[in-house]
Amino acid sequence: MGKRFGHFALTWFIAMIPCACGAASAAAEDGAEVLAKPTYRSAVSEVRLVFFATDEQNHNVGDLQKNDFAVVDNERVIREFRGFARANLTRLNVVVLIDASESVLPQVRSEIADTLQLMAQSSWSSDDNISVLSFSGMDVQVVCRDDCREVDEASRFESLPRGGATPLFDALQAATKLLAQRAQPDRWPVIVVFSDGEDTISRTSFAQALQNILVAGAQVYAVDVATPAGQSKGSATLQKIADDTGGRYLRIGDAGAGVFEQFIEDLHSAQVVTYVSPESHSDFHSVRIYPTHNLNLRFHSRRGYYRDSDRASSEDTR
Amino acid sequence: MKRACPTLLLCALATASAAQIGVYQPGSVVRMRMGDCMAAQHGLMATFGAPANATSQEACPEYTLVSSSVVYVIVGRSSNQLIPLAETIDFRFHKNELLVRIDDAKKESKFTIKEMLVRSDWDRLQRHIDQQLKADDVREAQR
Repeated sequence: MGKRFGHFALTWFIAMIPCACGAASAAAEDGAEVLAKPTYRSAVSEVRLVFFATDEQNHNVGDLQKNDFAVVDNERVIREFRGFARANLTRLNVVVLIDASESVLPQVRSEIADTLQLMAQSSWSSDDNISVLSFSGMDVQVVCRDDCREVDEASRFESLPRGGATPLFDALQAATKLLAQRAQPDRWPVIVVFSDGEDTISRTSFAQALQNILVAGAQVYAVDVATPAGQSKGSATLQKIADDTGGRYLRIGDAGAGVFEQFIEDLHSAQVVTYVSPESHSDFHSVRIYPTHNLNLRFHSRRGYYRDSDRASSEDTR
Repeated sequence: MKRACPTLLLCALATASAAQIGVYQPGSVVRMRMGDCMAAQHGLMATFGAPANATSQEACPEYTLVSSSVVYVIVGRSSNQLIPLAETIDFRFHKNELLVRIDDAKKESKFTIKEMLVRSDWDRLQRHIDQQLKADDVREAQR
């Protein structure tokens, strides 16, 4: 394949490494009984955080050094890293979400046409998973699944319902589930959402949707289609989702054909840092990366992780 | 004796001046969080008046800055008042505020001092917290 569409993998994982910390059998002198002492197990958790940095002009910074940044994990400043390298993200797992609700109807037709055209023009890898979902009314509809590169999906989209309410958070939930079903360690999960951000009917709450995206380790690129963009509550919602997941918030006018190119740039400059997770009483760890010298640098990474993802997911399903 | 007096006076003035301007000390930020902003309030009205609303909605960065003998908890005045999180930073005091030198920007950033602890007490407290967390981990693993 010609130019290879790159890969993200801003994933973290926590490796639980059990170690026996003290089991010793005590043998008493002269035939005394051997006392069975309790075995204590402790755990060392390693966090893998993928991120990219931008400068004051919002351009990607590729030549970062290990001492250019510090991680703040649950309020603790961490400068000792186990590893730091380029992320080498090579395979993508992408779900494109298209808002087809009443509030964005005037923009929908051109938006869909542009989106599908952009997707067709991009040079995807044969290993990439690309799915497209649309949402409106009470439903999230699958436009195409897994391989949306070569088929002209515009005609299929025409037959799907449009108008009605905006189940944005349900759609994010559906996208997260789809990513989770196809999750592989070397696949970079990304959600691209085209919407005005104004959820009106979802059963899923904003917090639940965001939590599940964080658990899945997905990065959200939010394209605001509202006019004017950036001034509504919906815009703030999209901005929050993009920021908290380490993605980007883009306005439809600014993004234009650039949204997929933006991936590629971010992907190529992505770095991965690993460190020991600090002790904490909570399963959820908030994470931010800050500069150590140049305050003009801005670091994009997920804003948190769960020490025990399974537990977080099960709590959410209750 | 006559020469000694001006010398002593000069020394006293120099000391007073240094105390006023503040001599840089090294320190290291070990913790950071976004917390409530502390409005810069002074005087009777500030003490007895209503709380300032201007900054109450905003979250301001709060840093734990460890120096050789004292640990300071300092708060910025706005959400974007950040300190570079280098291994060591330089700071000094000026009019009850703590000024941090921002190397790359060649300027200083003013912070309100929220708390001060003697370093040895803070170290002891941290050890206690770490022990508690480790004990909790062991208990969790035993289950």
